[in-house]
Amino acid sequence: MPQDAAHAPETLLDVRNLSVDFRTPRGRVKALRDVSFPIRRNRIVGIVGESGSGKSTVLWALLGLLAKNADVMGGEVRFGDRDLLHASEAQLRATRGEEISVVFQDPMTSQIPVLTYGRQMLDILYRRPNVSATEKRHMAVEMLRKVGIPDPDRRIDQYPHHFSGGMRQRAGIAMALLTGPQLLLADEPTTALDVTMEAQIIHLLQDLQKELDATIVVVSHNLGLIAELCDDVVVMYAGEVIEAGDVREIFHNAQHPYTRALLECDPARINDVSRKLPVIPGDIPDLSKALSGCIYAPRCQRVLPVCRETLPPDVARGEMSLARCHLLDGPHRDSSWPPPLDVMTVGQGEGTAAKPARAQRDAPLLDISDLSVQFEVVGPIQARLKGLTQRHVDAVLDVSLSVAPGETVGLVGESGSGKTTLGRCVLNLLPSQAGHVRFEGEDIRNMPEGRFKPLRRDMAMMFQDPVGSLSPRKSVRALITEPFQIHGIAGVDLDAEAERLAEMVRLPKHFLSRYPHELSGGQARRVGVARALALNPKLIIADEPTAGLDVSVQGEILNLMADLQAEHGLGYLIITHNLPVVRHIADRLAIMYLGRIVEEGPTDEVFARPVHPYTRALVEGVPQPDPDRRRVHVSISGEVPSLLNRPKGCDFAGRCPVAQDRCRTEKPPHLTMTDGRRHACHFPLG
Amino acid sequence: MSENRSESETGILAVDVSGLSDHVTDAETRESAARERREKLRMFLTNWQGLTGLILVAVFFASAIFAPWLAPYDPNALDVPARLSGPTLDHLAGTDQLGRDTLSRILFGGRVALKIAAIGVSVALTVGLILGMIAGFGPRWLDSLLLLVFDTVRSFPTIVLALATVALTGPSLAVVLAIVIITSIPQYARVARTATLTLRNTDFILAERSLGASMTRTLLHHVMPNVVGPLLILAAMDVPVVVTVEAGLSFLGLGVTPPTASWGTILNEGYLVIRDAPWMVIAGGIPLILTTLGFTFLGEALRDIFDPRMGKGR
Amino acid sequence: MLYYLTKRLGLSALVIGLVVLVLFSLLYFIPGDPATIALGPRATEEAIARYAEKMHLDEPVWRQFLIYIGNALTGDLGLDVFSDRPVTAIILERIGFTLSLVGVGMGWAVLLGIPLGCLAAVRPNSWLDRVTGILSVGTIAVPSFLVSIWALLIFAVHLRWLPAIGAGEPGQVGDQLIHLILPAFAIGLSWVGYLARMVRASMLEVMGENYIRSARAFGLRPRRVIFGYALRVAILPTITLIGMGFGGMISSTVFAEIIFARPGLGKLIFDAVMARNFPIVQGAVLVATGLYVLVVLFSDTLIAWFDPRVRESL
Repeated sequence: MPQDAAHAPETLLDVRNLSVDFRTPRGRVKALRDVSFPIRRNRIVGIVGESGSGKSTVLWALLGLLAKNADVMGGEVRFGDRDLLHASEAQLRATRGEEISVVFQDPMTSQIPVLTYGRQMLDILYRRPNVSATEKRHMAVEMLRKVGIPDPDRRIDQYPHHFSGGMRQRAGIAMALLTGPQLLLADEPTTALDVTMEAQIIHLLQDLQKELDATIVVVSHNLGLIAELCDDVVVMYAGEVIEAGDVREIFHNAQHPYTRALLECDPARINDVSRKLPVIPGDIPDLSKALSGCIYAPRCQRVLPVCRETLPPDVARGEMSLARCHLLDGPHRDSSWPPPLDVMTVGQGEGTAAKPARAQRDAPLLDISDLSVQFEVVGPIQARLKGLTQRHVDAVLDVSLSVAPGETVGLVGESGSGKTTLGRCVLNLLPSQAGHVRFEGEDIRNMPEGRFKPLRRDMAMMFQDPVGSLSPRKSVRALITEPFQIHGIAGVDLDAEAERLAEMVRLPKHFLSRYPHELSGGQARRVGVARALALNPKLIIADEPTAGLDVSVQGEILNLMADLQAEHGLGYLIITHNLPVVRHIADRLAIMYLGRIVEEGPTDEVFARPVHPYTRALVEGVPQPDPDRRRVHVSISGEVPSLLNRPKGCDFAGRCPVAQDRCRTEKPPHLTMTDGRRHACHFPLG
Repeated sequence: MSENRSESETGILAVDVSGLSDHVTDAETRESAARERREKLRMFLTNWQGLTGLILVAVFFASAIFAPWLAPYDPNALDVPARLSGPTLDHLAGTDQLGRDTLSRILFGGRVALKIAAIGVSVALTVGLILGMIAGFGPRWLDSLLLLVFDTVRSFPTIVLALATVALTGPSLAVVLAIVIITSIPQYARVARTATLTLRNTDFILAERSLGASMTRTLLHHVMPNVVGPLLILAAMDVPVVVTVEAGLSFLGLGVTPPTASWGTILNEGYLVIRDAPWMVIAGGIPLILTTLGFTFLGEALRDIFDPRMGKGR
Repeated sequence: MLYYLTKRLGLSALVIGLVVLVLFSLLYFIPGDPATIALGPRATEEAIARYAEKMHLDEPVWRQFLIYIGNALTGDLGLDVFSDRPVTAIILERIGFTLSLVGVGMGWAVLLGIPLGCLAAVRPNSWLDRVTGILSVGTIAVPSFLVSIWALLIFAVHLRWLPAIGAGEPGQVGDQLIHLILPAFAIGLSWVGYLARMVRASMLEVMGENYIRSARAFGLRPRRVIFGYALRVAILPTITLIGMGFGGMISSTVFAEIIFARPGLGKLIFDAVMARNFPIVQGAVLVATGLYVLVVLFSDTLIAWFDPRVRESL
């Protein structure tokens, strides 16, 4: 830590040499080691890292709210003239909420379900005995109004479950800002939200920071959010700060090999659409074991023998900039590091596999036409009692989509768009009410399970939660050979098959005897792929294949899927909300909104020239991991309407910046443009 | 960690993806599994409750099974001259109004308790598990129907239902057993149903369905292994209830019929002579308490170790 | 809220209907003439004939059932076999003794158990927590009827501090209260431990929730966090437990009333069983069960009042 920066007058809070251990059954885990960085007044500081980096632990240490099994091993947190690490509980309590406040990651679980927002906000203001209850309520209402909650006078008396996710997070921000704190901590504030909502929250935080002259610390794994929102950035890896600096320095001139690799792995930063994504090999180290040398050495592309023995120096660049690497200073200094930005420093797996020759588009593997799926929301008796006429909602409405052999189709939508329902319906896991689903020409919609079962060998599904989609009490071996048993395939040597499949998904053999909870997300995902591929299917429906995976490892899975496609000519239907990822892997995209496909076409064209305003909002909604490409304003506001109140006209009309009267009264039909793209918009963008 | 990485990987750019995330060797996997087992065993052995519970339960089983060899007297042998004797060296727990040795009667009474507990709990558990899984996995109407039945059965306080039944059939061990089973089933079924219901919508059950697994296969291979654990813990906690119901009904004279020794009948006979021979109600109660304590401790220790979320702490 | 209540009420009515059906059909599961079974072997020819007419035994079974339901709805539960007095009147005479016992027994358990559990959860592993832990396991392990017997032995027979039998002189509130002490102690004791553990466990679970961390991160006073936030949520499963456990409470009451010769509903049922006076058994069991269903309904309502999510659910 450069001493001059630590004592610079504008430093609001200074973390110095913070070390935290966790006592676990496996021994002491050294979760934070010697963490130092300043937080400068009136700036937005981003702490960025992958899972296991300790970024959230830092945040809780600042508040003195570490888990019970945590021991602070040393260091201090200077805040004004106090050291928060060694302050009394009473002092800390006086600080929390008043001077330092928090916005939480998951607004669904971090707000008490049985109290109204009014009650919760009054509680936060308990330290103001001179302010009357009426005034406090007024303050709360005004704060809710400020964070963009419509009709706050009425909504303040509602409970958290009455609010949508985005609104809850707005209310969470209102609660945090109610007392006018000097420092606002935000723990992954948008992770639980959809893309369009994330953009709104980012801008809300930016506006509030300017308006209130606040200092904000944002903890996130999302490079786009950090680049878009922050002024200063602290990069953490496995419990250490490995680099820190101004946001532009970090994103345009990263010094540490890990920062560099992390940026290269972010699909949103890769401009050339490539079928192979870069990957940082290896896992984060086991922090319960003895550590020596550079913490990143085992995964580093530029590792030197010295890196394994000696802790690298903190090499300072500017006021608060530093990077911890042998390449930057001392006897091992390499003047050619870091290489220019267009030189890749991490590998992309073995040679770029050629795209397989595409089968003719007129012989689709899967062909969905006019499919509709309805869900019953209230039972017949209840509907009568409550006087409801509408008992069903359309989760999927008039959807047409096809997947050819060897083709990857991306089905993109926010939560509640019906994309997962559509996927499950294709596999006959849910009944549908109208339309056709044809697989190799045969209509399979609502086919009885007895007749459908043989078809399951040709169609497989990968589920969203990699570990959760594996039966918890079965070994990996049992799991990947189960398809053979289910389909009664005789004459197979199950052990040999298990090993063949493990090899195919690049899962080392000894993992076969493990159980799902002993696997990392990436490993569990491989098991899922092996299961899906066991019977040589022709079509794979993958629901959020990169969910729960860190940026540095999601490439592994996507590359594996691409290789298998090239090898076996698989058709993929990839269901995701992650536009940057899908851009690299999908040939065609279909965008879903409220159960309908609003636009469909070749991926590069959809990205380059979106036709539907919603598509444009989605494409623009992804925060760019480049601080020079910040957006000035959010393109769409509001929220996805409830399926119970499906708009009469265009589903998107209420949020559309270019909507006209016709859009509100007449549902746009699906139209095919001259270049073969389809859309559902009365006034397509030029 | 680092010693597992080969030197060839230290070069830039040429990184093989296939060796990812597997610096943990086979030996380490086995070691971690063994370590986890050792850890669970250690947790159990250092848990004084668990250990006490295990010992008490073992004593309960052993004394009931070996009662004919352990008992100093024939439990039904009359010795009228020595009636209502206090605890002496000849009769460690005294004698009853017919001069029968209380200790021998307690040992033989344990057999009744064991029989009721073993049969009652295992039948109730099995039936409850099956009904619960059906309710949780079957169609909505069947679930509602079964829930209604469970609610109805549960609405009868156990003893009250037993009284009503015995009023018609007369006292017998079979009736006690039937009552115990019928009143226990709903709680097993409810736990199994809730667990099944939660599992039903998990990704892994959907994954099994998408592979084409039949309902039977899904239930037997993927639902049951995840439901049966909490039920076994519940069963350990249920043994005391079952034993108490038997003792209680026998105490009221509505359980086992007179000459047969049971903890309840000893208490019953003791209650009648409580002013003259207080040791009988004391001696009759102690094995009941020890058994209850043993199974409760055991159940809780198992729960703490295997399902820490259910009842944290202690 | 209204919809929720309507639904709960409807379900409760359905359960009571099924309870009547079970009680009614019990008679017909037993081989033999219903009148003889119901009235027992001591009943006279005349009584049997009268009973057969009164119960419309010549009608088809389903009509008999409807007639019974219809009569029960108007408060007519039939006639006592021996005295010919209306069963309803006899039950009303006795029910007060039971209600006061249950009220006082549950009351002291709740007043002691919930604060104990709270305090134990706030300071896990403190001496108070340990003492509470040992105390609660100890009290849970002793069956309530054994507590009754031993309490009788110690406080009434041995120390002679408190009266052993009866409910006290009619009209003398002080005397009645003194007679209430021992049985209420006996039926409430295991509940103290039960509630303390339950509250402790659910408090500890809630204390680990994100929203508790939020409340602390906003600097709320610990007292507010514990009582205003954590207890507010943790009390919900406890209310359910009290409601569901009320059946066990009734069972304990039956024992306590018999052991302390207290003329309540339980004693009434027991005496009627011994005398094979089935109309009384049927009526009193129905009332006891109905009481239980009402308590569960009340606890459900209480939860809906505390928890907006339940209130607005289906």
